[in-house]
Amino acid sequence: MKRYIQTLGAAVMMLGSMMCSSCMDDNETPDVTDYIVTSKYSVGGPTMTISEFKDAYSSLFSQTNAFNLVEEDIIIEGVVVANDEGGNLYQTLVLAQLDGTKVDPTKCIVLAVKSTYLTPYFQMGQLVRINLRDLYIGCYSKLPKIGQPYTTSSNNLRLGPMLFELCKEHIYLVGAPKDYAARINPLVLNEGDDLLTKTANQNYQNAPMLVTVEGTFVDGDNESILAPDELKDAGMGVDRNFKIGSTTITVRTSTQNEVSFLKMPKQKVRLTGVLSYYSGWQLQLRSVNDMVIIDE
Amino acid sequence: MSKSVTLVALLLGMHQAVWAQVAVDSLVQQDNSDFTFTESQLDDDNDAAQTVSSVTASASDPYQSEVGYRFSAMRFRTRAYDNMYNHVYMNGLMLNDLELGRFSYSMIGGMNDATRNQEGVVGFEYNNFGLAPVGGASNINTRASAFAAGKKVTLSLCNRNYVGRGMFTYATGLMDNGWAFAGTVGYRGASEGVIEGTYYNSFAYFLAAEKQLNDQHSISLVTFGSPTERSQQGASTEEAYWLANSHYYNPYWGYQNGEKRNSRVVHDFEPTTIATWDWKVDENMKLVTSAGVKYSRYSSTALGWNGDAYDPRPDYYKNLPSSIFDVYDMDKNNPQFLAENPYFVSQWQDLYDFWKADKANRQINWDRMYYVNSVQNHNGGEALYYQERRHNNQLVFMLNSTWNHNIDINNKYSLGLQLNHTKGMHYKTMADLLGGETYYDYDKFSANEYGRGTIEHPTEAANDLRNPYRRIGKGDKFGYDYNIIVNKARLWGQYQYTYNRYINAMLGAYGEGTTIERDGKMQNGRAPENSYGKSGTAKFMGGGVKALFTLRPIANNIVTLGVGWDSQAPLARNAFVAPRMQNNFVENLKLEGIFSSELAWQFRFGSLTGKFTGFYTKFKNQVEQTAFYNDQENRFTYLTMSRIDKAHYGIEGALVYQVNSELSFNLMGTVSNAKYTNNPYAQVNYEGMNSTTNAALNEWINPITGENMPLRVIMKDIKVGSTPLTALSLGANYNINSWFLELNLNYYNRVYVGYSAYRRLSNILTNYTATGSDEGRPIFNIEDETERSPQQILNEDGGVLFDTEGKEIATYSPHLEKYNGGFMLDASIGHFIRLKQGRAMSINLSLQNITNNRNLRTGGFEQNRDDLYSTGVARAYKFSRNAKYYYANAFNFFLNVNYRF
Repeated sequence: MKRYIQTLGAAVMMLGSMMCSSCMDDNETPDVTDYIVTSKYSVGGPTMTISEFKDAYSSLFSQTNAFNLVEEDIIIEGVVVANDEGGNLYQTLVLAQLDGTKVDPTKCIVLAVKSTYLTPYFQMGQLVRINLRDLYIGCYSKLPKIGQPYTTSSNNLRLGPMLFELCKEHIYLVGAPKDYAARINPLVLNEGDDLLTKTANQNYQNAPMLVTVEGTFVDGDNESILAPDELKDAGMGVDRNFKIGSTTITVRTSTQNEVSFLKMPKQKVRLTGVLSYYSGWQLQLRSVNDMVIIDE
Repeated sequence: MSKSVTLVALLLGMHQAVWAQVAVDSLVQQDNSDFTFTESQLDDDNDAAQTVSSVTASASDPYQSEVGYRFSAMRFRTRAYDNMYNHVYMNGLMLNDLELGRFSYSMIGGMNDATRNQEGVVGFEYNNFGLAPVGGASNINTRASAFAAGKKVTLSLCNRNYVGRGMFTYATGLMDNGWAFAGTVGYRGASEGVIEGTYYNSFAYFLAAEKQLNDQHSISLVTFGSPTERSQQGASTEEAYWLANSHYYNPYWGYQNGEKRNSRVVHDFEPTTIATWDWKVDENMKLVTSAGVKYSRYSSTALGWNGDAYDPRPDYYKNLPSSIFDVYDMDKNNPQFLAENPYFVSQWQDLYDFWKADKANRQINWDRMYYVNSVQNHNGGEALYYQERRHNNQLVFMLNSTWNHNIDINNKYSLGLQLNHTKGMHYKTMADLLGGETYYDYDKFSANEYGRGTIEHPTEAANDLRNPYRRIGKGDKFGYDYNIIVNKARLWGQYQYTYNRYINAMLGAYGEGTTIERDGKMQNGRAPENSYGKSGTAKFMGGGVKALFTLRPIANNIVTLGVGWDSQAPLARNAFVAPRMQNNFVENLKLEGIFSSELAWQFRFGSLTGKFTGFYTKFKNQVEQTAFYNDQENRFTYLTMSRIDKAHYGIEGALVYQVNSELSFNLMGTVSNAKYTNNPYAQVNYEGMNSTTNAALNEWINPITGENMPLRVIMKDIKVGSTPLTALSLGANYNINSWFLELNLNYYNRVYVGYSAYRRLSNILTNYTATGSDEGRPIFNIEDETERSPQQILNEDGGVLFDTEGKEIATYSPHLEKYNGGFMLDASIGHFIRLKQGRAMSINLSLQNITNNRNLRTGGFEQNRDDLYSTGVARAYKFSRNAKYYYANAFNFFLNVNYRF
């Protein structure tokens, strides 16, 4: 009997020792300090500024809806002044021209990339250099954009985002975000500023821009949110009128993101965001931090 | 795996001969031990579904006894039944899971030597352990005294889920002092299985003790378990397989630090203990009572990501070249259109090149997720990517007692009581934050819908209003947490009357009661009133009868007719609308009805033996639930169908021609049909939405009257998928001088892809209204941009037709893909060597898919997404043309060496 119990005991011990073995799903945390989705190598030095680039393609950018393939090595660079951190901008980065060490919020262009949540790869303040060869440039409603054509959900052919996979080939990050993050200063627009009132300013050179405005929401009641789902239009956004003194602009917000749930205050607020032109000037907030109540 | 080896190995273990069936005539095989699990069936507790139904079916049926392992490579399910219709007992205790209905073969994985001793019956057969359901039943005898005394070492080598296996079994046999002990320990493992990116790490133990107290009483105790860690293989689309240049592409893994890491890791351990009291009252009466407890711990991981983060699945449709433009539309996929729109081709080519450039590009990008989370840490944000572990644990108490009485040579009966209390515990924990530092418990997709909320002012996004927005660390519960409690009691009996050697009859009946209840442990923000606490109890009283008439009109010919009716409770897993979130029971939850019938002819003409069976089974009022991540809505979705009717019918048979004592040929197969016969009711529930929003989703508006109609799934005549409805096999067996050779050529066809109920919802399909009538026949204007005829459009895309008064007059379910058929050649060779002093060795080599047919699809599923944007415009990517598939294994082998001493 003892022999049998010993045998079974040995079997149990063998089992126990095996069960104490470590599992195979042990994985070391990778070092991602230097992780990038863009090119590891320079895509070349800038051949023109954003402003020069816009002028070079003024006839294209003056159209309502057009795009062209870039067939030469045009390299531009800009600092990320708006990204999709708050979920309100979709597949969109706004790059601002770097003049020396100054980030110019009035000379900007949209870089559209086909991926949600671009923020980690293109953080605010990041200087980005792009080789436009084989990419498409164009505009929709006076908004110059870099991307690739696609068919929209309304079956329209538009200039849309470039493939995310192409970032590795076309985009090079220069330095770190902290180099320029603190130097991003939006243009402050006031009531009656020419930019908002003069029709001649509704052109590709002035869109997009990073601006700050102060004023009140026409429907501000401290209760209604910026973009309730039931008010969304075909573009999945909601327009709210915002008065800067006697001048009215639109605050356009996509539904179903953090920004869309911001309540519209009765009080005067300071808004910062991306200014562009559709049928009128419209402002898109980048994140919930872009709305500040200034008059309690 | 070889029958031959099994035969040799287990003949000594059959101590229960006294309880074996009484032989009717020479047609019945006396030895139960040759129908066993195959090695691969026991070990491939695969991820798609368990597909080993009836592998242990009756030895008296030459078809059923073979079909399980003969067709296992194609995940064959007998008569296309779900495995819940096959019951598995151990020492008289039924082990099928009350929540899923199925027996978990993984619970006995790696203990093949301990579980070989089985008795199997088909659906209408008399047996002495329990009334068998339509798919049959088997009873594994693991009493210690049933093991042949001695030691046995088994070593295996293969190229399947694992690559190596070792087992050691020791049994004392019944000793003079009345004790018997037996034990098995084993290990199966692979650092990488045959599918890239998978691994296998499994131990197994089995211990049995038995004390025969006297001639009448014996007590047996067995305990076993198989702690397993394994990673999984995912199905993918044909496009992804094409890009990866392999039908065995696995999208579940990716490189991390240069090492392969799988995102789907299963931990499975179901320790079970069974105590059995055998009371042999006399030679003709016996009471077997078994009580058992099982504490099952099963969990599997999956990637999770927040609403804003990019979908990390490498074969996500937006990563595929065909997402750029509609490659199936010849108006676009032609040289002229593409020359005019070169950007489509260039983007398609860019994605193609990306997939082909580097293997890492088509696998999960772990580094990218870690990087995103590290940036989130830096910016004070939450982790956007994580790995969650979904737990499905069970604590089960079981008791079965069976009384068998052979009254005389003509009459016998058995009676039984079965009790089962199951507590299923379902929750998820944070397995890995992938470098992230913070994560708060709220539904990120709901937050986009209703706002995130705060502790003071929680919104619908809160997963637990009693403890909202708490910070989650590794190992913490989050998301959902609930128990499902199921109780079942069954009384059954069967009686067999043998009138004379020509006629006998069996009659069986049972009655059972089932209760189902959910106990929520979280108060979900989307269902604050009906998520926390108990749901109330749903009670079902069911039962059934069945009868088998056997007639032997002439010698060596048996004709049997079986008829049965069952009425049984729905499965607990299908009983709740959205069990992860709320307590609500599914509407139309009622007893399921099963009418079953079969007519069989079994015969022997000289050296030719065989059996042919025709069967017809009708399922009524079934409930099925699918739970899936809905790409269209970015939400976890439950879709429950109720009042489902299905019909399974066909013929099956086997012929064996014994040329001489050494050589035989066999031909076997089935041609059957299994289809849905109505358009069942549907309930859709998005986990991230509240009851108001969900109610809107379930609306189906009559296009004429504007009336809201019950939502349905248009699936009449849709076939049951992921099993061959046609399977044929031609085989040869040759045995000489302890050598065993077997060669089988198998043909499979009529395998259908698993349907998507979502794509067939009546409010998703096009609803056509009559534009007028011609001699009383309604006229429809059915056309699209293609040149297809109206009938083609209906047959391919589906639709619902209404007359001018809003009356539904016809329904068409979208076309369901049928896979191409094909052949598979299998062989095995074995040799048994008898050594001195009672020792023996056997060697067996099984070769499967010798011709290396890599194009046989075993299963798969349609994607739960339709081809249109909400605007009605067609998407570039065609989900309807891109189901996900599993393929049968390429050429594989299994070498098994046993040494008994």
